[in-house]
This record gives sequence, C-alpha cells and structure tokens, in this order.
Amino acid sequence: MEAAAAMDHHDQHESTGIDHRKLGMWVFLSSEFLFFGALITNYLLYQGQPGFTRPYPAEIYDIPFTSFSSFALLMSSLTMVLAHNALARHDQHATRTWLLATAMLGSVFLGGQVFEFTEFVTVGGMKLTTNPAASAFFLLTGFHGFHVLLGVLMLLTLYGISRRQGELSEASGLNLELVGLYWHFVDIIWIVIFTVVYLLASVPAGIG
Amino acid sequence: MATHPGEHHHPTPLQYVKIAILLAVLTIIEVALFYVNEAADMGGWDAPLLIILAVIKFVIVVGWYMHLRFESSMLSKFFTAGFILALILYAVVLLAFGVIALGG
Repeated sequence: MEAAAAMDHHDQHESTGIDHRKLGMWVFLSSEFLFFGALITNYLLYQGQPGFTRPYPAEIYDIPFTSFSSFALLMSSLTMVLAHNALARHDQHATRTWLLATAMLGSVFLGGQVFEFTEFVTVGGMKLTTNPAASAFFLLTGFHGFHVLLGVLMLLTLYGISRRQGELSEASGLNLELVGLYWHFVDIIWIVIFTVVYLLASVPAGIG
Repeated sequence: MATHPGEHHHPTPLQYVKIAILLAVLTIIEVALFYVNEAADMGGWDAPLLIILAVIKFVIVVGWYMHLRFESSMLSKFFTAGFILALILYAVVLLAFGVIALGG
C-alpha cells in the first residue's frame, strides 16, 4: 500500500525519465493530427467542387468576426502559460486568476462559434445538410469547438479544485501542465484551420 | 509542481507576453494579406505567404508555450512524427484528388 502510494505522482517515470502521463499526453496529441487532418482534408475535397446547392461556406464567411475569435483563442494560450508559470512560482492566487482568464477567453471563442453557426444557418442559409462542403465545414469546426469545450471544462475543474483545496498540489500541478498542453494543441489546430479553411478558402469557378 | 529537466530555462512571464505580441502581429499580417489579395489579386502569392505565417505561429506556440524546445528530444520526435505522418497521408489524398498539384 505504502509502496503504491510512493509510486503515486512522483515516480511515474518510464525508463526514459519522462513522466508517463506527460508522455501519454504528447502521444495522444500527436495522434490527434490524424483526426483533424482527416477533417480538414474532407473539407478541402468538397469546398471547390461545383454543382452543389449554394451557399458554399466561403461565400458567407465573416473574416473580421472570425479574426476576433481567433485572437481570443490565441491570447488564451498566453494566459494558460502564465497560469503554468504562476504555479511553478507557487503563486496560487495568480494561478487561479490565469486559469479563469483562460477559461473565459475559451468561452469567448465558443460563444463566437455559436454566434457564427447561428448566423450561417439563419442569415446565410447554410445548414448542415445544405451541401457536402457545408457538412464538412460544420463537422470540422464543430469538432474543434467540442475540443475547446472540453478544455474549458478541464480548466474550470482545476479552478474548482484550487478554490476548494486552497492550492493545487504537485500532482495537480502536473495536471495543469497536461491541460495546458491540450489547450495549446487546440490553439495550434485553430491556427491551421483559420489559415487553410478561412483565409485560403475558395469556391468553384464561376461562383462569387 | 512536477519538476523536469531544463525547467529553469523556461521563458519569463515578460517573454511570454512578448511572444503573444509577436503572435498577434503575425495574425494581423495574415488578415491584412487576405484583404490585400481580395483588393488586388496577388497572383497566387497569398497562399504560400499565409502558410508560412501559419507555420511560424505553429512553431512558436509548440516550441515556447508547449515548451517542446525545452523538453526531451523523445517528445519532439513523437510529436513531429505524428504531424509529418498526417501531413504526408493527407497530402497524398489531396494530390490524388487533384485538390493540390505538384509544381503549382
């Protein structure tokens, strides 16, 4: 029992010297490239095909609005890394503040996505079933939004633990690092989506 | 906090803020490029420029915010391998379907 407790949190290292939870998170994130890559490729395959019912996603993008929500997500990576840094300095108050700021910025992004989807459906007339390009768009961005939602929930859980216990323990510290890795990954995926899906969007020749 | 080798080399909060400012500036340039291309066709130069900017942002976040450049090289290998594998796989698919073409 004591041996098991001793193993807990501190000695979970592989022979590589890397904590196996951290190693697992990096491998998981690496595998996520295949997931998002498939969805981005799916979108790229359909966005330029002629003959679908209009509108195509690229016809109704609101680039200024999406740029703003992208900026919010980008800045949430800053607040996340500041939370990690504050915990390393044992500054619990700052850790909680930055965790909450990160969750709020993530929520701003999610709110923006809900607004964007609503506008596309009600004003732009592009629903999930309008055409395959629209389906691919909603699937990709919705799946990414789901990742952001999970991240926000994990951040709020860490915040709640910190409030209830008065501090984040060393084990929770690693959890914060793992949540941070996940959060930054969600950010880098959006960097790719924003460029490839929004800024480099195209419609079939003769449209727009 | 779990310690790991090289943690003391991590950037300071001020350096993190400077990195964020750089990321914000790169994003502004990206959006500006989009509108420049809308106003006056850049003859296809927008795509490589936007991709280069996205790659720079990607590398900055992974390297400095995810601390990959301060971590064990094994983690870099795992992460890079997954990324390159996905890139090759889907590039082949996009080439096969004619969405992208070799040599423009």
